[in-house]
Amino acid sequence: MISRKASLLLIAPALALMAALFLYPLGFSLVSAFRQEDGGGWGAGNFLRAWQFYSADIVFSLVIVGLSTLLVAFLAAAIAGYLTLGENRWCLAVLRWLYRWPLFIPFVVAAQLMRTFLAKNGMMNNALVELGLLTPFTTHSYLDWRGIVITFVWKQTPFVALLLAGAMAALDRSTIEAARNLGASRLRLLWDVVLPQVRPSFGTGLILSFVTMMSVLSVPMMINAQTPTLLTVDMAWRINAYGDYGLANALGLIAYAMTGLVAWFYLRQGLKENR
Amino acid sequence: MALQIAKTLLPLALTLAGTGIAQAQDTLYVATGGSQNMVDYVTDYLGPMFEAQNPGWSVNVVGTGPGDAGSQAILEKLTAQKAKDSWDTDVIVTAQLKTAEMVKDGLLMKYRDDIDTGKLVTSDVAKNALGTDVDGYVMPMFISQTAIAYNPALVDHVPTSMSGIRDWAEAHKGAFGYNGIKNGMSGVAFTTAWIYAFGGDADVLMKGPYDKAQEAGWDKAFAALKTFDQSVTFTPGNAGTLDMLNRGEIAMGPVWVDMFYSWQQDGRLNPGLKITLPEPGMPGQPYYYAIPAKAAHAEAAKKFIALATSPEVQAEGIVKKFNWYPGIDASHLQGVLDQASWDKLFTDIPPETLAKNAKPFPLGGYFTDMLEQYETQVTN
Amino acid sequence: MLRTVLTATALAALALAIFGPITNLLLWAFTETWYFPAKLPQSYGFSFWERVFRPQGNAMASLWNSLLIAALTVLVSLAVAVPAGLALGRGRLPWRMAFLFLFLLPQAFPSISVHMNIARIFYGLGLNGTFAGVVLVHAMQGMVFSVWIASAAFAAVDPALEEAAANLGARRWTVFRTVSLPLALPGLIASAIFVFLSSLDEFTGTFFVGVPDITTLPLLMYNAAMEGNYQIASITALILLVPSIAFMLVIERFLKADVLARIG
Repeated sequence: MISRKASLLLIAPALALMAALFLYPLGFSLVSAFRQEDGGGWGAGNFLRAWQFYSADIVFSLVIVGLSTLLVAFLAAAIAGYLTLGENRWCLAVLRWLYRWPLFIPFVVAAQLMRTFLAKNGMMNNALVELGLLTPFTTHSYLDWRGIVITFVWKQTPFVALLLAGAMAALDRSTIEAARNLGASRLRLLWDVVLPQVRPSFGTGLILSFVTMMSVLSVPMMINAQTPTLLTVDMAWRINAYGDYGLANALGLIAYAMTGLVAWFYLRQGLKENR
Repeated sequence: MALQIAKTLLPLALTLAGTGIAQAQDTLYVATGGSQNMVDYVTDYLGPMFEAQNPGWSVNVVGTGPGDAGSQAILEKLTAQKAKDSWDTDVIVTAQLKTAEMVKDGLLMKYRDDIDTGKLVTSDVAKNALGTDVDGYVMPMFISQTAIAYNPALVDHVPTSMSGIRDWAEAHKGAFGYNGIKNGMSGVAFTTAWIYAFGGDADVLMKGPYDKAQEAGWDKAFAALKTFDQSVTFTPGNAGTLDMLNRGEIAMGPVWVDMFYSWQQDGRLNPGLKITLPEPGMPGQPYYYAIPAKAAHAEAAKKFIALATSPEVQAEGIVKKFNWYPGIDASHLQGVLDQASWDKLFTDIPPETLAKNAKPFPLGGYFTDMLEQYETQVTN
Repeated sequence: MLRTVLTATALAALALAIFGPITNLLLWAFTETWYFPAKLPQSYGFSFWERVFRPQGNAMASLWNSLLIAALTVLVSLAVAVPAGLALGRGRLPWRMAFLFLFLLPQAFPSISVHMNIARIFYGLGLNGTFAGVVLVHAMQGMVFSVWIASAAFAAVDPALEEAAANLGARRWTVFRTVSLPLALPGLIASAIFVFLSSLDEFTGTFFVGVPDITTLPLLMYNAAMEGNYQIASITALILLVPSIAFMLVIERFLKADVLARIG
């Protein structure tokens, strides 16, 4: 064991970096969001303007990222569940090899992949036309909110599935076997026995995904930078075109509030269950 | 034999001496706003030419991106160094609105009278940028114009006016595309054209005076634009509009004339596409060469700009290679530029139409209000 | 039987969803011309590869920038994260949970608004558009992950082994060097690779702090994509894909489930 003093010394550099590059800018954003643009002083002016300019995008961000998180949760649970409870050895091997591919593909690359894939005359529609499922005149572009959701889900599902599969693998198999012997179907097993036990990992993975998606700039910029779009695009626009840090930081705070809300909701659910 | 060796070594010795005089390598730092073609222009054409003429100098160029955001980046870069004695950027290339701001903030140097080519430009854009007096601080690099590009295979009756375009787009859902205002200036130009056409007296917006009361008609125009936006496809930028036209995903959209011709010249764009300049007009703008007030290499910067605005470079580089309208007065290009290259600029839009329908952007005050109201009333 | 067919169909759909977009990218990377309405490229070739890798082009410069920044980022973030992980995983650290929670915080806030304010602070310090600035921003993000992985890796080392070594008279440094470090090494290597990759792929921070002076591969790719140069964007994307996919294929070798389970 390392002594208290030595431990504190060892952790000090990390804390310093953290304070300089996270806590300070964070404080900076709080101050700047409440600072009035003209004449100085404090107030909620930036938030009023944020709402006036971007209320549609605020709602849109919450809906898009929320929807993506739900889809990620569903798919990740299905994949991890099959990996834990599946019986066909061949299918298991294929799935295990398959699902992780997008895991470390950067968002900016994923956006580029989807941009050409989902376009009106992109590969997906072309393939569907070739198969006779669509005609060239009934194709339409997916490069709007659907494109953003598809890219997010494509990229984030493997991450949550990996965490979840890891947690499930560490579970005590005996309860699963017991339930299986009682004749429970695999779906019931997953829902009633396995998932409740990996709740913490599942929740953490989903919240991490939610936060990550809230701060992705490249995907909405490349897939749909127009009306409505995600808040990140508006923040970058306010700063790059106007140097308007006040409004941008107000939007940032709104994004914080959304993730805070989601985290609080999750923690509260967790506490209720434990009671 | 000895002579032979001496002959071989002599150029080497001279070169070494030459670099010694020029104090090794000096670097001229150029920052340019605008799309990739403007970076390419300096990297591939102007920079090497300047380096060849001025041994010992190398040119370093950074592109800061399209639209006002690109020029804002340069503005911030200069503002951040305001307190220092020597700034790290020697030549900047920026759009009108932000250049005007830089002049007002005292960030630029008055240099036009110091260079020989300064008198080759007499047009109004060299003196006035959207209502701000910039006389002496800038040299126009080129003038560029927006227009409506379309695919003749998909458009039977080409609309000749903004209201015609509106009706066509509403009749052909999704076939008209533009890039909003956040991603490049061609969308901003379309919005401006919309306001000129449907928002009241366009002349006052361009010439002044600035008076909020003039914006009374905008509410209705923006409401109409919001409805119009329901039937259009949004594209991801200046290049995005061209790209979607090329891939048949839209049939019509606003583009920069120079990019349109350059892409066709490169074989990147379907050669069948055409452009038209509708009534009552669409805006164009110059990009300016300017020198930061405390540029470290101000003398070299002046040389660089003098080269860039010489009739030869304007003819060869600006018009022939990159398809822009020249920044200096066209009369100075006579004799330097062949007729065919000049005519190419007017393939689809004849000079008369250009004279009638090419407009400037509105005055700074109106311009800012317009962009702001687009966000509060159209996209939100 | 029906169940097997259904499972196979689901797997096939998943494979299409995952590999469809990647195949599309491969096609674009080797395309010479591809106009509407052709369904597949009209001609293939390497001319865009030559353009990307020409010496005066900025792709090579961006590649070196990216690699250099990523390497420095690994050094900086591991230099602070390994001691911190040791303290958290092995030390008698007061407020241990509070510290762990603190290192989770950056993950709990959307990083974009932190990045844009760092950019503003860096402007004042003259760090904007410098290598040091970009490395610091990447190192901050990398550190958060590596602190967690390192503390999990050190915590997973059996204390009995360390005590045994200490009882045999080994000094503390020797115990660390010969027992704790080798046992925690797989986790540390995993975190190094992870930090390297996340720096290589980082976009938002570089977008605010590095641009326009420092261009990394992701930014080059973004610019090419926004300028409609799909071939160049796809080639750059392909370069970025190689390390990502290689790491994905080997991750389980380094990151055992027991370490993974301790994260979060």
